[in-house]
Amino acid sequence: MPQPLNDSTSIYVPQPCTLLEVSDLTPQEKLFRLCLDSGGELGQQPGQFVQVSIPGLTEAPISVANSPTRRGYFELGVRKAGTLTGAMHQLQPGDTLGIRGPFGRPFQLAALVDKEVLLIAGGCGLAPLRSLIQYCQDRPGDFKSVHILYGARSPQDLLFKEDLENWQSSETFSCRYIVDKSPGSSCYDGETGLITRLIGALEIDSKNGCAVVVGPPPMYRPVIAELRRLGLTGKRQIMLSLERQMRCGIGKCGHCTIEHLYCCTDGPIFWLEEIEHLRGAL
Amino acid sequence: MLKRLVERDIYDLLGRIADSYRLRVPGLLDDGTRTLLPWDGQQISLFGEPPQRKPTAYFFPQTDPLLKIDPRGQATPAAVAEKPFALFGLDSIDLAALAFTDRFFSNPPPDDHYLRRRNGALLIGLTGYAGPSRGFLPLVKGNCDLELIACGEYWLARAGCKSADHWLAHYPPGDQEQLAVLQRESAQWNHRAAVDVQQAMELLRQDMVPDSFWEEIASRCILCSGCNLACPTCTCFCVQDRQTATGTVRSRVWDSCQLDAFMREASGHNPLGTEALRTRRRIYHKLVADPERWGEPGCVLCGRCDRACPTGIGMFAVAKEIASRFAISSPD
Amino acid sequence: MTATLTTCPYCGTGCNFYLLRDEDGRLTGVEPAGNHPTSRGQLCIKGWNAHAFVEHPDRLTIPQIRTKGNLQPVDWQTALDLIHEKLSGIAEKHGPDSLMFLSSAKVSNEENYLLMKLARAGYGTNNIDHCARLCHSSTVTGLVETLGSGAMTNSLSCFDETELIFVIGSNTTEQHPLIGSRILQAVWRGAKLIVADSRKIRLARHADLHLRHMNGTDVALLNGLMRQILLEGLENRSFIASRTENFAALEKSLAPFHPEYVAKVTGLLPEQIISAARMYAKAEKAMIVYAMGITQHSHGVDNVRAVSNLALLTGNLGRPGTGVNPLRGQNNVQGACDMGALPDVYSGYQRVSDPAARLKFSAAWQTRLPEKPGLLSTHAIEAAAAGKIRGMLILGENPMLSDANQNLVRQALEKLEFLAVIDIFPTETAQLADVVLPAACYAERDGTFTSTERRVQRGRKAVAPPGEAQADWQILCALLQRCGVKADYAEPGEIMAEISGLTPSYAGISYARLDGNGLQWPCPDAQHPGTPILHREQCARGKGRFSPVAYRPPKELPDASYPLLLNTGRTGIHWHTGSMTRRSHLLDREERSAFVEINPEDAEKLQVRTRQQVKISSRRGAIQAAAKVTERVPPGQIFIPFHFAEGAANALTNNALDPESGIPEFKVCAVRIDPC
Ligand SMILES: Cc1cc2nc3c(=O)[nH]c(=O)nc-3n(C[C@H](O)[C@H](O)[C@H](O)COP(=O)(O)OP(=O)(O)OC[C@H]3O[C@@H](n4cnc5c(N)ncnc54)[C@H](O)[C@@H]3O)c2cc1C
Ligand code: SF4
Ligand code: SF4
Ligand code: SF4
Ligand code: FES
Repeated sequence: MPQPLNDSTSIYVPQPCTLLEVSDLTPQEKLFRLCLDSGGELGQQPGQFVQVSIPGLTEAPISVANSPTRRGYFELGVRKAGTLTGAMHQLQPGDTLGIRGPFGRPFQLAALVDKEVLLIAGGCGLAPLRSLIQYCQDRPGDFKSVHILYGARSPQDLLFKEDLENWQSSETFSCRYIVDKSPGSSCYDGETGLITRLIGALEIDSKNGCAVVVGPPPMYRPVIAELRRLGLTGKRQIMLSLERQMRCGIGKCGHCTIEHLYCCTDGPIFWLEEIEHLRGAL
Repeated sequence: MLKRLVERDIYDLLGRIADSYRLRVPGLLDDGTRTLLPWDGQQISLFGEPPQRKPTAYFFPQTDPLLKIDPRGQATPAAVAEKPFALFGLDSIDLAALAFTDRFFSNPPPDDHYLRRRNGALLIGLTGYAGPSRGFLPLVKGNCDLELIACGEYWLARAGCKSADHWLAHYPPGDQEQLAVLQRESAQWNHRAAVDVQQAMELLRQDMVPDSFWEEIASRCILCSGCNLACPTCTCFCVQDRQTATGTVRSRVWDSCQLDAFMREASGHNPLGTEALRTRRRIYHKLVADPERWGEPGCVLCGRCDRACPTGIGMFAVAKEIASRFAISSPD
Repeated sequence: MTATLTTCPYCGTGCNFYLLRDEDGRLTGVEPAGNHPTSRGQLCIKGWNAHAFVEHPDRLTIPQIRTKGNLQPVDWQTALDLIHEKLSGIAEKHGPDSLMFLSSAKVSNEENYLLMKLARAGYGTNNIDHCARLCHSSTVTGLVETLGSGAMTNSLSCFDETELIFVIGSNTTEQHPLIGSRILQAVWRGAKLIVADSRKIRLARHADLHLRHMNGTDVALLNGLMRQILLEGLENRSFIASRTENFAALEKSLAPFHPEYVAKVTGLLPEQIISAARMYAKAEKAMIVYAMGITQHSHGVDNVRAVSNLALLTGNLGRPGTGVNPLRGQNNVQGACDMGALPDVYSGYQRVSDPAARLKFSAAWQTRLPEKPGLLSTHAIEAAAAGKIRGMLILGENPMLSDANQNLVRQALEKLEFLAVIDIFPTETAQLADVVLPAACYAERDGTFTSTERRVQRGRKAVAPPGEAQADWQILCALLQRCGVKADYAEPGEIMAEISGLTPSYAGISYARLDGNGLQWPCPDAQHPGTPILHREQCARGKGRFSPVAYRPPKELPDASYPLLLNTGRTGIHWHTGSMTRRSHLLDREERSAFVEINPEDAEKLQVRTRQQVKISSRRGAIQAAAKVTERVPPGQIFIPFHFAEGAANALTNNALDPESGIPEFKVCAVRIDPC
């Protein structure tokens, strides 16, 4: 048994942090920029998440949306989904929040080095992926090429529009996005259709490719099928993020299990072959 | 160190332990339910059914305050009582459950809140002829600090670790021969449900149990959550906040994977969205997922879920059903 | 740690468990009573979480008085004086019958007794009633007429030996989970199960026969069964001859109910009716189990009569494994009735109109007592809306959410000159009160509760009440004393002693005898072991009386503008208006908001998906709820639980009342759904 502990703190105690900036991403999503009151760095790796605590509303897991290479703050992109996230949307700069973490297994950065990297996000999935994109942006030499593909439901739902433009014009990336449907009234002149269309259109050296996929549950199967068609059939070629209800973030509460795996500690980032055969994973 | 005690010595021993621990001993509640209770120096129920309430509840209670957040947002961990628990009256099954739960909560990152109660606690086994109607309870293999073994007229006592030796120091030595006899008996002792559960485990691992089976079993479930709440190796919890003028108390509360909202996400997506999936999970998790992760099943065969289940679909009942329906009968 | 044995505060099943308290005096959980005959080491999810609301921060902790429109804390003395001053003032000015007292099926027998004493002896009115009006008043009226006693005739242990169970209008696995589970266990054992319910409830999945008759057609169905039984000669002739009366009238009344006609009315197939009749009548021992699906109709009493007729016709009465078994909803609704929290009877169903009974009670209480039976709660609401009831005291009820037609209830309560509410939480009803008194909850006081099988059991104090909250019995004693009625009981056991002195069926009951498993009434003397089965040798009224009934359709049926039938009820997770369960974390988590069950066919037509918010409206109001598309409800019917204030089913329901019992028609009204 692990030995006597320090009584003044606990793994369940959140640390205070202060909201620096809030910006609207869409009518449902906001970006929060925060810093730890302790003054230290959060120390996240791309793909990790934090448990955001609001007294009275418990906690919710939220992925860190910026790369650790951007120092002095951390960002959370949050969709208004219920009570806690709804309360977050009411917060103003200067307000305080509690944070535990960062938790979880991050994107396997080492496995991407010198690869043709596909970063594929659907909907809210761009928030966690953004941390990886920024990371790639800040270390351009590490990868052979980086392709960003992003799908949203409608032009209105596109997250991080400024970033998208910035990435599209960046030398480091190729970046395309697409929306399921565009209402006639909108002034959107980009592509429409499913994200799988963008994947089909890629030309890459499949032996040397590695894809990272983050999106809502219904997106995974079709995207994986499309990636396979592209030739990403080997091991350690597709990485994805699985989200489950999470109460603790540290492998204790049991809400996030997929068979014998705990999404919060064994994931949220998995290699496809680690989870593909598990019932209910995809 | 093996010692010989008579019943009076047990009271003396426990009396000394009670000075430095919060001692819990088997007793009968008003309606005859046998459970572990604070000791008032009076009669102890030395023989009988295993205590109804799971022993892990002492370290992981149903409602368990984790921390307090003051109105300025400052959080402090909940204090736990200074005196550690001493639990007397644990059989080998309950000790196995505690060992399982200990390992679960110690797995990195360790759950300091559990460990704060668990560290320094004294676990005292009660085995030998101490079962219902003085039936046999197999001896403990490690896992406890002290073990008292009922041998009929007298008791054998041994310490599970060096640091516990001193409790027994002044009693006369016990009969090693007698211990050996009991150890042989323990080795031969078979749990009534072990065969079924073992077989169910195999069949599940080989994916021999069709979904229709889970649908059928699940249709009997009235969603009481008792199977999970009674189980000593069930550790799932949800988190509740209660806000008052003086701050917020955040607690963890026993949860149950039989409930629809256990995994339901804010979007409505629910990986365990049907009764059948949840019922499968309850059994599969213990018999297949836990061995895969921890190297041993999460079911220690205590039988509590079968007792708590109002419709007769606890672990033993389901395992029996699986074993009898899906086992490929041997050629002879 | 301490473990206090007590009775579950939720349903009438009567499970017992231990409340566990740690060294700091906090409740940490519950542990089922391992040897209790009902619990047997088991509980339903509400029982397992029964500790959770007790220490909720929303608990009322201090008396409050409305001043300048807001509730303000005051001391007890002031609050109690004000209540007495107002109530006695109104009684003086407008007569005692301008007051109404609403008691509660959540409080103990002793407290119900004291409140009825307060109404009758303290303020001189028989205007006292409680929520049984809304659940089993039809049972009390119907079964008293046919059998002489309005209670469940048999015991829960009878499920273990019966051959057939006929469940009609009871979603037992959700509403009385530990009775539902016993029914399921009986089915594994080999007993037959007939379920008559328009919804595909869990029991229906295990039934030999599931009759999805249209809501409100129970009389037609039951009469159809009886006609078929007679046609095939399956009735119990000797039982009819020796133990019943009025058979000829019944026989005559059944003539029109041939299977084709019944099929047309109920929406069933003629063969289903025939096979159900055969199956039920051929069983040697058959139990009928029913609940709100029978009683909550504008013809609720007729439904109960028909049920009783069916049992009498086949001689399924007075023996183990038989009987007419209404499942009482609240943990103490049986007791509240037994204690006379009803407008026409004192405790033990002794009629206020009976001079001898009146004499007995006025001698005991040393005061004159009114003879005119009082108002039913449902009528009292109407009377309040009409300005005839001017003062009201509500003990532990939330009519704002539980009564039919919420708008009418609001109007009525707002119109009152004076409203006092005693409760544990700031309920929707308490928001309207002039005085709110904080009460101790079940875990904080002693008292007895009577379960559905007439088992009188102890509830025990496990923790101290929050703040200044007091036990209801203490509050009622303080009011009785202000009325000049002696009420100096040191503890509830002394109240029980008074009750048993005045109530023949409780005469043998005392606290000392209740330790253990309690006692099932009638328990007429101190040596009597209690009565698991009623009507053994003869019925309580002598002969069992056949009471013929004609089929009357519900008051409001779907039509072109309101094309769907609304069925209301509860779920297995929440309790009534949710004031306790929605404050219990796990239960709240499981079902967080209002929903409406819609059949896929209707959903398709209406173009609604699961989780989509829809607007549901009736002629009386409109609410919003999330759609839940499910086969559980038949096409043309929707179901809404009444737990949720923000989607209050009773804003829609019809307060068409049964003319005899005054129960509202909660189970049928016409509504429409619009996407929103
Ligand atoms: C690893 C991970 C990363 C995520 N990253 C992001 C992100 O970057 N951005 C983002 O917008 N979202 C993210 N999410 C989703 C986000 O966590 C949920 O939207 C959020 O938890 C919703 O919480 P809520 O309180 O607002 O909603 P709720 O109203 O609480 O609803 C959430 C669900 O949780 C349950 N629930 C609600 N309250 C409780 C309670 N008190 N106790 C127990 N169960 C309860 C309910 O069943 C409900 O269905 C992530 C999720 C995971 C697992
Ligand atoms: S028998 Fe049941 S309660 Fe006991 S360990 Fe196994 S699963 Fe848990
Ligand atoms: S104890 Fe039985 S009925 Fe209750 S949740 Fe578990 S399996 Fe279902
Ligand atoms: S069945 Fe009824 S009495 Fe029993 S635990 Fe559940 S709610 Fe309580
Ligand atoms: S979030 Fe608690 S175990 Fe994973």
